[in-house]
Amino acid sequence: MADTSTIIGETILVNGNLSGDEDLLILGKVEGSISLTKTLHVQESGVVKANVQVKNAIISGIVVGNISASDSVEITEQGRMVGDIKAPRIIIVEGASFRGHIDMGDLEAQRPSSPLPIRNESPRPTLARTARPGLSAPSAFRPTTPAPAKAPAKGPEPTKAEAPKAPPPRPPAGKAPVAPPRPPPAVVTAGKKKVVVKKS
Amino acid sequence: MANTVIGSSIVIDGEISGDEDLVIQGTVKGKIALKQSLFVEGTGTVEADIQTQNVEIAGAVTGNITATDKVELKANCRMVGDIKAPRILIADGASFKGNVDMD
Repeated sequence: MADTSTIIGETILVNGNLSGDEDLLILGKVEGSISLTKTLHVQESGVVKANVQVKNAIISGIVVGNISASDSVEITEQGRMVGDIKAPRIIIVEGASFRGHIDMGDLEAQRPSSPLPIRNESPRPTLARTARPGLSAPSAFRPTTPAPAKAPAKGPEPTKAEAPKAPPPRPPAGKAPVAPPRPPPAVVTAGKKKVVVKKS
Repeated sequence: MANTVIGSSIVIDGEISGDEDLVIQGTVKGKIALKQSLFVEGTGTVEADIQTQNVEIAGAVTGNITATDKVELKANCRMVGDIKAPRILIADGASFKGNVDMD
């Protein structure tokens, strides 16, 4: 073990890319990627969240990520792994926990990759359909509501401007019944102003 | 005996942090943050900002060091960067370029 000169201790966290040409013993935590030409040992206390490229991997701890080994991958009784393994030799002993895809190389033609994509595609359209009406519905209502609110505000302004112009011609003409029928809403204001004109 | 050793053929590009001693015989680039001691051995190369309690350098370090206790530059070491620590030792034969702050 003394020759396996690289050790990542229990309290150590390595975040990044780790590469080398010697054995690596992980008791701590490594996140990122590991690339070795020799053997990776993940001990029971070790946690690896990385994509791993090695010659050999012996996993007694936790590995989350994909492993590509040129020789072998072994998951021991204490080992837990989630990810894909690609190696000519893969050993998973009783008690080990593993979830992922295994590729031993020679069986490539027999691996159907279609079932997995189909399962993933089916829920996507349903999610997209529900999302679209939910987004379009509120956006359609918003522009319609402010439009009518602005229309009545503009309405009374022109009628007030017309009202003062109307009274002067009416008294000389003497035709009171002619003015009321033209603007029905403006009649009330026009009538009050007529009274003032008569007093003067 | 330190628990963590980065061997001479190992290259780490990223961050290393932890609560124990770290011995570097290989190459580390990025950042090192420890609560204990860092030993950069003769074959070790560090291009990183370092925050530790103690640092002993016999190899090559490029970067700034902040130590809460002591920084020791041994003979034949090469160090470029600033050092901030209460105690700083520079041995005969050490090569150093940078600022020193013992406040």
